[in-house]
Amino acid sequence: MTSFFRNAAAAAGFAAAVALAGPAGAEGLEKPAGFGNRPLTMIVPFGAGGGSDQLARAMAKAMEEVAGISFQVVNKPGGGGTAAIPDFMLAPADGYTVLEHIDNAISAFAAGDIRENPAEDWVPLCMTQITFSQIYIRSDEDRFTDWESFSAYAKAHPGDVTMANLGKVGSMELVVMEQLQEALGLKIKQIAFDKPAERYGALIGGHVDVLFEQPGDVRNFLDAEQMKPILTFLAERPSAFADTPTHKEVGADFDALTRFRGFYVKAGVPQDRIDFLAAACKAGFETEDYQAFNKKKYMHLIDSFRDTDGSIELINNAVASYREMYKKLGIGK
Amino acid sequence: MEHFIGGTMMLFGDPQAILIFVLGLVGGMLFGAIPGVNMLTLGAVLLPFTINMNASHAVMLFSVIYCAGVFGGAITAILFNIPGAPENAPTCFDGYPMTLKGQSGKAIGAAVSCSALGGVASAILMMTATGAIAGWAVRAFGPQEIFALIFFGLAVSASIGAKTLWKGWLSVFVGLIIATIGTDPVGGVPRFNEGSVFGLEYQSYYLSAGIHFIPMILGFFAVSEVITQAMSIAEGTRERPKAGLEFPTLSEFWSVRVTMVRSIFIGFFAGILPGIGATLAAFLGYSQAHRASKNKANFGKGELEGVVASETANNAATGAAMIPLLALGLPGGALTAMIMGIFQIHGMEPGPLIFINSSDLVWITFAAMFWANLCIVFLGWLQTKTVVHILRVPFRWLAPGILLLATIGAYALRNLVIDVWVMFLAGIAGYLLRKTGYSAAGIVLGLILGKLGESAFSKSMQLMDYDFLGFFQRPIAAGLLILAVIVITTSIINEIRDTDFQKALMD
Repeated sequence: MTSFFRNAAAAAGFAAAVALAGPAGAEGLEKPAGFGNRPLTMIVPFGAGGGSDQLARAMAKAMEEVAGISFQVVNKPGGGGTAAIPDFMLAPADGYTVLEHIDNAISAFAAGDIRENPAEDWVPLCMTQITFSQIYIRSDEDRFTDWESFSAYAKAHPGDVTMANLGKVGSMELVVMEQLQEALGLKIKQIAFDKPAERYGALIGGHVDVLFEQPGDVRNFLDAEQMKPILTFLAERPSAFADTPTHKEVGADFDALTRFRGFYVKAGVPQDRIDFLAAACKAGFETEDYQAFNKKKYMHLIDSFRDTDGSIELINNAVASYREMYKKLGIGK
Repeated sequence: MEHFIGGTMMLFGDPQAILIFVLGLVGGMLFGAIPGVNMLTLGAVLLPFTINMNASHAVMLFSVIYCAGVFGGAITAILFNIPGAPENAPTCFDGYPMTLKGQSGKAIGAAVSCSALGGVASAILMMTATGAIAGWAVRAFGPQEIFALIFFGLAVSASIGAKTLWKGWLSVFVGLIIATIGTDPVGGVPRFNEGSVFGLEYQSYYLSAGIHFIPMILGFFAVSEVITQAMSIAEGTRERPKAGLEFPTLSEFWSVRVTMVRSIFIGFFAGILPGIGATLAAFLGYSQAHRASKNKANFGKGELEGVVASETANNAATGAAMIPLLALGLPGGALTAMIMGIFQIHGMEPGPLIFINSSDLVWITFAAMFWANLCIVFLGWLQTKTVVHILRVPFRWLAPGILLLATIGAYALRNLVIDVWVMFLAGIAGYLLRKTGYSAAGIVLGLILGKLGESAFSKSMQLMDYDFLGFFQRPIAAGLLILAVIVITTSIINEIRDTDFQKALMD
């Protein structure tokens, strides 16, 4: 048990140090009167162990360290993130309930699947993970090895090339692929999957030809050289993928939608509590532990942080882009 | 082999590791044995603590909980007809009738030995061939093959637990219909989340999450058992089952050897395939034993072979489920997804590299699973001598506890209140089903297979350009589909031949 106790002791010591340094070091992190004396609830609308869950637990830990509050993380998975919303909306607007959610909520709102506007009915505290997408092939693929040869192959076999994708109508993935195919005159068959891991298995097992995904989610396959990226959906090449062309370089001129994860409270929470939680989120984002966590998920390649105003802008822009695309594609209510 | 010895030495050479091993074993078994809460509940509670633990300890703890938890649920299934966890549901069919006959010790003894046997066999298979098997399974089994396998599962599920084949099929179809509630797996289109029933408009985000099979199982088995017992107490017909302490004899084990071997393979195979897992393994093991058995008529009335079949298969699935996780980074179920999360929290990614980068960790996990399965024999033997005495507790004291735990378990699954409602409604429905000879297990299987099957079917159809005949261009898929059709046809023919059906037609 020695190392466990040592860890626990170190953690306790660290917490004490933070508590002592807290009022002096971290300005603006004084708890509002009467707030934060009991644990806060953080709702994660996805299952334990997944990407959102890992983020929520890492951020909860970071915020506990910097702000002297404590969190209870509760997973309420189902319906692609919608099943957790009623419980969040039923909780009193006292700042004790924080919701983690991803850009799915924004596309669901734009499509009319949910009524709550994430920029108005909820107050975003911050976004802490923003990432771009890529297209991946198997490393041992011999029909094509890079974007150029892939695009030639896809043009020679229109509609035969299969891509594993998340299937929800109007999802970020499908919208981006629609834009790419339209710009380049390609025809790639989208195969809708419902579970992320199945898509990775389908690519490695040779049941589909290419995969659409964010780099942080397939890092183990990239490190093991089972998959490699052939196209990045970003304006400029990020340093970690300097050899992979961007969609703009291959001739598709559109601003690609991003995947983003952030934290919300309900509208109507007292302003001093919102300010406190938003400041705690910013300070938590800047902790070494959290930065290391984001780096592991390739979330350091582009600026991954937005404060409340920045988040609202990000959400409103995304809603506008989705609505424009939905009009074109004829989806949504 | 030297890896295994190395892993074992690491496990037992470190006092902290031994402590965690024992705690995982006892904790998994307890949480598995208490209806309502299960190993997933324990896993979710412990997950945050693993951040401060050493990586190999954390992964080992969860794999031990996995092995022990899958066994633990057998005890309540046998003693009270209430499966502690979904994968023990088929154990009820014959385990509980054995308890009523005063053979509870024998049933638990068989469950203990077979769980250990299935688990150890699968741990050995896992250690010898993880990389090769995982590579083969992911290449050979695409969505088409998975769908064919699930279709085969459906074909055999109608024979489970119903009075006649027709009632069995009706039950399975009800399950399939329930499976369509919620977000569809292809377009993410919400189904039945709003509408009107008898003119009453309803709209619910909860329903977009769908109906989960765990609250259904809790309702069908735990809640409806409480209602059934309460009714028989009220009618004054209840007899308290006698606690039997005898262990099955060696010759009894020898007579079910074929079933054991068959269940090991079914369980192992079902475990490798992502999304199939231990629950389906147990059901498939049971129904195959039923099909092959000489004394079919005794199934469901206290046949030792039924307990053996389901308990061997579900534990055989545990080792197999680790294979795609470790070798490919593909978790097949909720608990393996948590283990994947632990790897990532500690900065490691499961996949082919893990055998090179973290070989120690992999082997301490393998060793822990092997020894955990062996320890089940000893702990299980202790339990046969002690736990059966719970039967002496008056039911009026047990019932509220069972209901309380079932409610907690239903809610803890997804922290959604809808699951609690589903559980109580299923409880009332389950009581009526029992009275009328329909099969609660059939509905549950229809629900599980319906969800998995729809997802696999829709992916297959997209891949095959919506051409149904495409299934028959793939040998494994074609073979399974044809086999399923044969099974359905022969079962219908047998049913017509055996029963009063002909007589009914003539009258």
